[in-house]
Amino acid sequence: MRHPARTHRLLAATTGIVALGLLVAGCTPTGSNEPIGEPQDGGTLTYASGDAEPSCLDPHVGGNFPQALVSAQYLESLVSRDDAGQIIPWLAESWTPSGDALTWDFTLRDDVTFTDGTVFDAAAVQANIAHLQDPTTLSSTGYLALGKVASVEAVSPTVVRFTLSEPDSALLESLSQPWLAMESPTALERSQDENCASPVGTGPFIVESWVKQNAITLVRNDDYTSPPADAAHDGPAYLDEVIWRFIPDSASRYAALQSGEVDVIDNAQPDTIVQAEQSDSIDHLDSPRPGAANRIELNSGQAPFDDVRVREAFIRTANVDDAVSSLFQGTATRSYSALSSVEATAVSNAAVFDYDPAAAAELLDDAGWNETDADGYRVKDGVRLSVEFPVSTNQSIPAEQSVFEQIQATAKETGFEVKLAPLDLSSWYAALASNDYDAVSAPYTKVGPDVLRILYHSDSIVPAPSGYFANLAQVSDPEIDALLTTAARTTDADERRDLYTDAQNRILEGFYLLPLYDQQNHYLLRGDVVGLRTLPTVAVPTLYDAWLNR
Amino acid sequence: MSDLEVQAELSDRAARSSQPGRPRRIGAAEGVAGVLALFLVVAAAWPQLLAPGDPLGIDPLSAFQPPTLAHGFGTDESGRDIYTRILHGTQYSLLIGAAATAIGLGLGIVLGTLAGMLGRVVDFTVNRFLEVLFAFPGLLLALLIIVIYGPGVVTATIAVGLSTAPGYARIIRAQLISVRSTAFVEAATVLGRTRWQILLRHILPNTLAPLFVLATLGIGQAIVWAATLSYLGLGAEPPTAEWGAMLSAGRTYITSAWWMSFFPGLFIVLTIVTATVLGRSIDRRMRHA
Repeated sequence: MRHPARTHRLLAATTGIVALGLLVAGCTPTGSNEPIGEPQDGGTLTYASGDAEPSCLDPHVGGNFPQALVSAQYLESLVSRDDAGQIIPWLAESWTPSGDALTWDFTLRDDVTFTDGTVFDAAAVQANIAHLQDPTTLSSTGYLALGKVASVEAVSPTVVRFTLSEPDSALLESLSQPWLAMESPTALERSQDENCASPVGTGPFIVESWVKQNAITLVRNDDYTSPPADAAHDGPAYLDEVIWRFIPDSASRYAALQSGEVDVIDNAQPDTIVQAEQSDSIDHLDSPRPGAANRIELNSGQAPFDDVRVREAFIRTANVDDAVSSLFQGTATRSYSALSSVEATAVSNAAVFDYDPAAAAELLDDAGWNETDADGYRVKDGVRLSVEFPVSTNQSIPAEQSVFEQIQATAKETGFEVKLAPLDLSSWYAALASNDYDAVSAPYTKVGPDVLRILYHSDSIVPAPSGYFANLAQVSDPEIDALLTTAARTTDADERRDLYTDAQNRILEGFYLLPLYDQQNHYLLRGDVVGLRTLPTVAVPTLYDAWLNR
Repeated sequence: MSDLEVQAELSDRAARSSQPGRPRRIGAAEGVAGVLALFLVVAAAWPQLLAPGDPLGIDPLSAFQPPTLAHGFGTDESGRDIYTRILHGTQYSLLIGAAATAIGLGLGIVLGTLAGMLGRVVDFTVNRFLEVLFAFPGLLLALLIIVIYGPGVVTATIAVGLSTAPGYARIIRAQLISVRSTAFVEAATVLGRTRWQILLRHILPNTLAPLFVLATLGIGQAIVWAATLSYLGLGAEPPTAEWGAMLSAGRTYITSAWWMSFFPGLFIVLTIVTATVLGRSIDRRMRHA
């Protein structure tokens, strides 16, 4: 949701600082409180992302959030989701599951072509699913989401049939995500390198060029016809061109926004959000991501966290509440759930996560960690109670890294040695792949509660073709597996919710994770950027409806 | 001892240390630098004396406090006292500075001596090797070493030391060659002293004195480089109270909490200025004495 900036101008006038007020107004010729007229065509919008620059612009390959952010401008999915969480038509006009929920017929729009001229039809959908399921594509997110899709066939040019190996209550949610977006089958036939550099979709913009380490240039698709059902207008986008830049340093990113060098930034730091809320010239768009909450997973697959008492002790010794309130300055709310607060099925249980160092000390004593070495850390059989904690600096804003430092400090009081290792994305993936971690914070975004299956089902300890495995807590509990498997098969909404509730309770009470807050997704934009919204699927911005009030 | 030998010995001494001249007065800048140096050394050796708190102790509820009486330099994002952290960080900076300079100087002496003493083939080889190293800006060389061996305080120290070595080596070689052609060295050669005796008794002592000045200046340089590496996230790892790392953490909040980056920056500047003033002062005294 968007918070319009507050106006202090009246206050300034009444206190006699009229001149200053005018000066400020003069510096910001088009504040958000100016009357907004009809959308204007044209102009170039510059977007600065704080996320890592993708190594591939095709979100089928791998499938992470930075790819979703940019690809939502040029790729589109079969379905989307509205603000209320209902699945709505996009490239597919309608869909019908069979009685046993094992076959799904999707009726496609017949007036859509890819920007390379290839027609969008049932064969194109078939080619896309095949591309995602091909191990050589190295898909992770899309591959996992399509786990139950046994085959896809073109019934007619506009009807495509998905045949499932077992019922999948999350099929539509999965297909709504940008990582399963539709690409031109002609373009997919090129080499992976080529397709990574210039993927071809049906979206409102076209990838024109990509200068690595610098910017991606997107130009308007003048023949665009396929906005999702909840878009604000029809026809082509308003903007001529979008420059998609990468500014990893948060202070530089905000400075670039303030100076007008860029128009929109993501991954805004809490202190800059607070500043922006008081500013006339910058607006704030807060859009928490769906799927999992931001949380620290405890690796239950190896010592010391293979002992539930040690996991509980770690959770009891982490003072997250104070860390969140001091560092996020009211821009984030503490979470007590495995799921994002935007998920209707999220179970929140604050009692499991009470900060209680005395209880933590007792638990460690029980677990045999009852000696202390010269540095104040607990020891058992000559081994120090150490927690390897690799931190992906590309995926955590500085405020979040400070949360980890505070957890490190409070955990030390009980005798945990938390070893924070700030790593770039590829070293971080390598540390996870070699099981070289005890605690880790890994964002995972997926539409709907099925994310629980991906994160906590024992099957997800097996790596996807990309080498990534999502069950980083390495939860291997037959009861949890059974609940999640049944829920993923259950199409009845109430029954499905009950199953996910049971599964979440069991996961939370197993002390596998320490929830922090929703995955923060704050955008700051110049006051003259109008109409920017995020897609309710995975909360990435769409520039289709955006225009410049200049 | 023959006459010639005595003469050689005397002129050597004259070149190395001379008669005490008029005692030079200590200037204001030198005085301030001396006091600061003393303060920094005390802070490095006994930080608890000047800042009894815990540099890593967090207090989330008093985060982002501007400088007040309770927190002279304010607090950082986790409520840690910045004054305490800066004083406890002195030991990293001074230690890295001194150790890196020692590494650079040590390696420089070896390379420079080899080039200056062992004839043209070795001189040519060492010089070309140094030129290759000079082709890279020093910091780039340090970055290269860190990329290979991974970030950390120890790697950063070694990296900075290795990157400064070529500069020292070249100065030592030049100094060595000029000392080698002085009268007292020629005298010693005529007397039949071996090459190594001459090197150890006559040449090295006369070469190394000016290096003391260079080393003092070099410590300042090494501290900046070490802070630079930490600032880039390649040196000390958070939450270590290291000046460069603190500066980097403060940069994030520079628009809302200036004190987080101002004070670490101030101490880096003060330390370098101190090292430079002292180095120049020693240099002047040696020249004019």
